[in-house]
Amino acid sequence: MTSRPLRLTVNGHAEELADVSAPERLLDTLRWRLQLKGTKEGCRTGDCGACTVLVDGRTCLSCLTLSHEVDGSAVTTIEVGPDDALVARVRAAFERAGALQCGYCTPGFVMAVAGLLRERGTSAPREELLEGLGGNLCRCTGYSAIVRAVDALRTGGP
Amino acid sequence: MTAAVRPDAGVKLAGAAVFGTDLDVPGMLWAAFVPAPVAHGRIRSLDLRAARALPGVTVVGPEDLAHLLGPGERDLERPLLAQGEIIYRNQPLAVVAAPSAVEARAAVAAVGVEVDPLAILSDLEMVFPDWPGSEADASPQVAAHVRARHGNVEAEFRGADRVVSETYRTSSIHQVALEPHACVAEIRGDVWYVRTSTQSPFGVREDTASLLGVPESSIVVEGTWVGGGFGGKASSFLEPYALLLARATGRPVRLALSYQEEFRLGRTTLPAVIRMETAVRDGRIRARRVRLLLDVGTSLPGRDFATGYSIGFLLGPYRTEAFDVEGYAVRTHKPPFGPHRAPFAPQCAFAVESHLDHVARELNLDPEEFRARHLWQEGDTTPLGQEVGPFGLPMAFERARATARQWRKEAPVGHGVGIGCGFWSTSTGAGGEVRLRLGPQRLIVLQGEREIGSGSVLVGLAAVAARVTGLPPDRISIEYGNTAEAPFDSGVFGSRTLGALGRAIEEASVALRRTLAERLGARGQAELSVERNEIYAEAGERRAAVTVLLSPEELATGGILAEGRHVAPPRSIDEKRVVTGTFYPYTDFTGAAHVAEVVVDPATGAVRVERYAAFQDVGTVVDPGAAQAQVEGGVAMGLGTALTEEAIWSDDGRLVNDGLLDYRIPTLGEIPPITVEFIEGFAGAGPFGAKGLGEPPIVPVPATIAIATRAACGAHVTELPLSAERVARALKLL
Repeated sequence: MTSRPLRLTVNGHAEELADVSAPERLLDTLRWRLQLKGTKEGCRTGDCGACTVLVDGRTCLSCLTLSHEVDGSAVTTIEVGPDDALVARVRAAFERAGALQCGYCTPGFVMAVAGLLRERGTSAPREELLEGLGGNLCRCTGYSAIVRAVDALRTGGP
Repeated sequence: MTAAVRPDAGVKLAGAAVFGTDLDVPGMLWAAFVPAPVAHGRIRSLDLRAARALPGVTVVGPEDLAHLLGPGERDLERPLLAQGEIIYRNQPLAVVAAPSAVEARAAVAAVGVEVDPLAILSDLEMVFPDWPGSEADASPQVAAHVRARHGNVEAEFRGADRVVSETYRTSSIHQVALEPHACVAEIRGDVWYVRTSTQSPFGVREDTASLLGVPESSIVVEGTWVGGGFGGKASSFLEPYALLLARATGRPVRLALSYQEEFRLGRTTLPAVIRMETAVRDGRIRARRVRLLLDVGTSLPGRDFATGYSIGFLLGPYRTEAFDVEGYAVRTHKPPFGPHRAPFAPQCAFAVESHLDHVARELNLDPEEFRARHLWQEGDTTPLGQEVGPFGLPMAFERARATARQWRKEAPVGHGVGIGCGFWSTSTGAGGEVRLRLGPQRLIVLQGEREIGSGSVLVGLAAVAARVTGLPPDRISIEYGNTAEAPFDSGVFGSRTLGALGRAIEEASVALRRTLAERLGARGQAELSVERNEIYAEAGERRAAVTVLLSPEELATGGILAEGRHVAPPRSIDEKRVVTGTFYPYTDFTGAAHVAEVVVDPATGAVRVERYAAFQDVGTVVDPGAAQAQVEGGVAMGLGTALTEEAIWSDDGRLVNDGLLDYRIPTLGEIPPITVEFIEGFAGAGPFGAKGLGEPPIVPVPATIAIATRAACGAHVTELPLSAERVARALKLL
């Protein structure tokens, strides 16, 4: 298996990894090399959204992304600090709306909402935002509280 | 009502909660199962040599068990690895450990297996093409046979104005907790130590001990954060294997399932056939005959729990003077049956409600009036002879009817509105012990359960502790200990946590406040309050800071200790009515009536749910936010059972749709607005009369959707889920 160096900026920190094999997934690089376990492993087939992170500000399923595909990129994960104002706002909205139970889908959902708002803006049509979250599965909340959190983040409310 | 912020929101939103899949120990090996290639067969050879030759790989095969297992008594009916005969596809044949996940997979691939195939019994109707006769009790394919009857059923059927007979079918469904099963095991001296994502640390300990032949005192189970349970993490699964490999290698071992394995090996609800017959005279139900064939996979005889429980649910919350209800748990070549949120009750309610709706229509009676007329009232006797305790379902049903009338006025042409009912019980069960420790500034509740997401532990128990001690919530910590540290509890399942541990906290609080009163030289219970960061106790005429009431030992150990234990209330049925098998009485009676408005696509048969209302009997709401969240989540999960979820098993015992793309759970855009109204005042088994709420909200959902669908388009669908295809067939579009 070919291995080569990989450079990423993760949550603002430059990371240089000497020896990352070609088929390694971004999910595994984050979780097992960088010990950023906040990004969750669910299906590993791109169907559940639990592993969603931002790559250069856009949502990305880290389980379907080879780490070398995003060499040189800036990756944002749920561990990002409060200086990421958008992620901080999404976190606060989830907390206020009670938009989590077991918490396993939560990191992926927070990153997916942050990515959507960054891309489409807080005044985007409600339906467009909700449709954009169709790839993130939650089994506990029935999504109702998550929708309330998204509504609270939109300009002008629900 | 403002909902409190969940105490676990911060750690979960920071990505800092460590789940089973996140466990990581230096020097840890990665484990994987060697799966059986057929659903039924005899192992001719299992060649582990090539796998063992790989660098860093350890393989535990059937012949290695003898020297790894403990010397104690073992459960020989459940071999950890297939011994000679394979009984379901992907059954573990061996288990490997390697330095990485990639190397573990390579080792699995290097195992050579030769199997002589045997005939596969892949579904119920292959085992019993006709209803089983008296010879069935001796059949190795029957895991349980339960029958209850009462009254002169034959005479009532003979004298009926009308007999309505129908057959219902329900699907195999999976819990789909987003976190796959995962654990890390290590041997620490004489202790077999396992950290795992589980709903029941003590259950894992007991079960693992009996599988490994090791005393329970030598096993310590530490729970992690749990990424969803829904029954799937209610008993041991991976832990014995990880411990065996830890023992074989002397290293920590991680065993986690891929999501595909999660589906393939999952212990969950399997298909069923339900036959319903009802005799009606003068507009009233005179007698019912109900028969159930429940696929329990390779569940062992005598260990099926669902069939007996289902007998009660198959009669529904309706007065039935004469009945004959019979169920068989049928063994097929699939993984064993396991619990799934209110195990099999939503399927029973689907059959009961759809059938009674159908009976009323056949007799030109108002279907809702027909059900209302027969609904249990408090003080009635259930068919199995138990007195119905405080029961909010009649009131919930009236509220649901009012909502349905309003929605029918507003609904456009082509929309349908329906009501479904269901009931459940708080199963307070074994255990339910807590320790309270009151220090100068804090009250600690030490108990044995991890929070699985429902909020029952971190939100519910904290609310109970605050209410019974009078302390503000910010003075209370709910702490968890592993099985060597914490008092015993049986698990976070059966909607029992708040009821059992909450009652234990009530009892411990009384003991604590009595002790404080004694130390103040007074009788009764001391009142607690907080002033300038110090907790004060007051009794009689005296008041003192807790810090001055503690002994030196108590000051050193953190505070004054009090213990509490829940005791299940005695309940009974009329045992004479149970002819065969076992039926357990209910602890309390929790009811729900739900309303749905649906629209059916006239071209495809696809059902879309426009809005949904849940009227939920709850006894007392302990935390409004957590209570509402349980109903919203339960309804959404039930919509999956109702509309899309169906695990499909092929004739050769293979799970066809073993991924989340093909096994469809509801997504965000498919959930309608859900309104929740609690019916309070009908006291249950929990503290302040609270009833369990984890399971009840899912029970009426498939029934509600089926009845609303029939109201919308006339399609009477008797099989779950109500996929577009089934609705289209019922409408003769296909």
